[in-house]
Amino acid sequence: MTEPWLGDRPPAVPPLLPLPPPGHATPPELRDVETDWRRLNPRMLLIHPVQEAIRFLPALAGVFILGRTSDSGGYWEYAALLAVIGLGLLRYFTTRFRIENGQIELRKGLVNKRVIATPADRVRTVDLTSPIFHRILGLAKVEIGTAGTGKDRLVLDALALPEARHLRDELIHRRNVVLATHDTDMPAPQGDPVDGLAPPPAGPTDADGRSTTVWSGPDTPGTETVLLTFDPRWVRFAPLTLTGVFSALAILGFGNQFLQRYLQQADLGSTVSSLTRHPIWIDVLVGLVGAAVLVSLLAIIGYVLQFWAFRLTRHSGGTLHVTRGLTTTRETSIEEKRLRGLEVGQPFGLRLARGGRLHAITTGLTKKEQERGSAWLVPSAPRTVVDRVAAAVLDDDEALHADLTPHGPAARRRRFTRAVVPALVLAAAAWVLIRTVDLPAWVGVVCLVPLVVSPFLAADRYAGLGHHLTARHLVVRQGTFVRRRDVLQRDGIIGWKIEQSFFQRRAGLAHVVATTAAGKQSYVAYDVPLDAGLALVREIDPGLFGQFAAR
Amino acid sequence: MPRSRLREPAHQVSPRARLMWALSGAAESLVLLVVQVLWWFIDEDGSRTPHLVVGVIWLLLTAVYLVVMPQWRYRVHRWEATPSAVYTQTGWIAQERRIAPISRIQTVDLARGPVSQLFRLATVTVTTASAAGPLKIHGLDVEDARRLIDELTAATVAEPGDAT
Repeated sequence: MTEPWLGDRPPAVPPLLPLPPPGHATPPELRDVETDWRRLNPRMLLIHPVQEAIRFLPALAGVFILGRTSDSGGYWEYAALLAVIGLGLLRYFTTRFRIENGQIELRKGLVNKRVIATPADRVRTVDLTSPIFHRILGLAKVEIGTAGTGKDRLVLDALALPEARHLRDELIHRRNVVLATHDTDMPAPQGDPVDGLAPPPAGPTDADGRSTTVWSGPDTPGTETVLLTFDPRWVRFAPLTLTGVFSALAILGFGNQFLQRYLQQADLGSTVSSLTRHPIWIDVLVGLVGAAVLVSLLAIIGYVLQFWAFRLTRHSGGTLHVTRGLTTTRETSIEEKRLRGLEVGQPFGLRLARGGRLHAITTGLTKKEQERGSAWLVPSAPRTVVDRVAAAVLDDDEALHADLTPHGPAARRRRFTRAVVPALVLAAAAWVLIRTVDLPAWVGVVCLVPLVVSPFLAADRYAGLGHHLTARHLVVRQGTFVRRRDVLQRDGIIGWKIEQSFFQRRAGLAHVVATTAAGKQSYVAYDVPLDAGLALVREIDPGLFGQFAAR
Repeated sequence: MPRSRLREPAHQVSPRARLMWALSGAAESLVLLVVQVLWWFIDEDGSRTPHLVVGVIWLLLTAVYLVVMPQWRYRVHRWEATPSAVYTQTGWIAQERRIAPISRIQTVDLARGPVSQLFRLATVTVTTASAAGPLKIHGLDVEDARRLIDELTAATVAEPGDAT
């Protein structure tokens, strides 16, 4: 392979493959395609040095402070800054990628040279991420997830957005990557033509965005159906979830450092002393209300940052596309072929407010990506919206809405003993301590709270338990603080676990666990009567069960 | 609905596994003894009665643990491999059965720790594409383990696809 180009403008590379003549229907397969080694987008020359500078910020700051205090008068600090910028430029000049023989190859590093190659047909997900600087420059980071466990992923940081989208469409839909550099015979593309790849998507764009034709290859136009668009009113659900509160706390923790600095400077002594003149419960009340307002506000900010402009579309090529984010925009593609089911989640607060959220159970997303929210199909939103999208994605109404089989009296008893007994022990311990070592009485009152709450908790936890089997899906539901109805494809189940503790064996109950390669990796029918649980296994895997069935 | 029950897997693990479990159990309770010895030397008060009470409790529990646990485990731990599936049963107080179809097996792995080497034993781990459910068979005779691995590997190669 010859070196492609080193300047800032590429020479016009002739297409390696003969382009299909107009009207010719068979495009070349991806594995027949060969492109030259290509660089990332030159606009990254602006971003890499900044990124490197941020990475080396502590060291740089040290050098600069040293430079100021020592009187050597040298230019060390500028040399260091130049070195860091140079490092950033090197990252650009040493990173190259190409598509050859059905493989995506990425080459990077100057000293530690690395070549990462992935067969294109093992690509499961392609994520585009544009942090704020990328967005300003019209770039997107492409993360290519493969069938493996996620270590061997390819990151192209970054390509121009249209080019990135196009690459994603080609990889996900296994269409032809046509090597058109500047071909006038193509249907007029919009935006910059892309070197080494076919022109970016173009075509009739509906102003309403209801149905847009996406140009993908010269002969296979796909259509995109919008399943969900963001409604700003949904932010009211943000404070009701733990996710929202946690993101609030994360922002708070981040802001805390700045806050503390100002608090130290401001003289708060007088304000604090004026507060102490009120009875203490007023302060507590004011503090609680203030905290609630603050956390709610931050939760809303977190929600907006993460989910603003959330948009779920279905591509006729068989993928779901999720676009979201306010400052950092993310685009996730989930192949419907890889979709193993749905999780309909209802955290306690959302349940009270008749809201819900929806996750995809899919392979090819790493754990980190799932935590980051790449599997979200609907963020916290009204339940009706969740139901509508779930029905559109999963063609099994019974699995989504049918009443579930409850787990019976033994499961109910177990829920009650497990909730009430620890609360009783706590209350008894508090009573004994009050009698013996003068524990203040209000501690005893506080210790009674779990005892009062526990029966309700147990009843609700029992009400959450249930399972159901449809022609194509296994449905399990559980949970109080986060109630989840998991709808898992029967074909996606790759093994079984039947777990029984000592007490479960006595009560004739078991946790029946269906393991899968997707989503949370295992979906559990908790405390199901053993017979009913094994009946699930037998129904789904009769051959497997039959071999080990008792006669 | 007809009652559906699973029978136990066909094979027991090696009888020497009991010794292995007893030895590792002894190591666990020795850690507790070390804590007690430290307490003996740190405690400056005159009375040694609490030490003796705790010591006796430790002795009793250890004795019961070392007698009961290996026997119980040995009775529970069973395994079976058919041409199309692997089936294991593990645990003692809490028990667990796992089934994985051969067609979904990704790796088969044999491991021998220092204690199991002492008793010519091995642990076979069978993983599937799910991160949740590796099947483990502890305390297999090394020869049996090797044979099992060979059979599983051959069967796995014959089956296409792993459902990722």
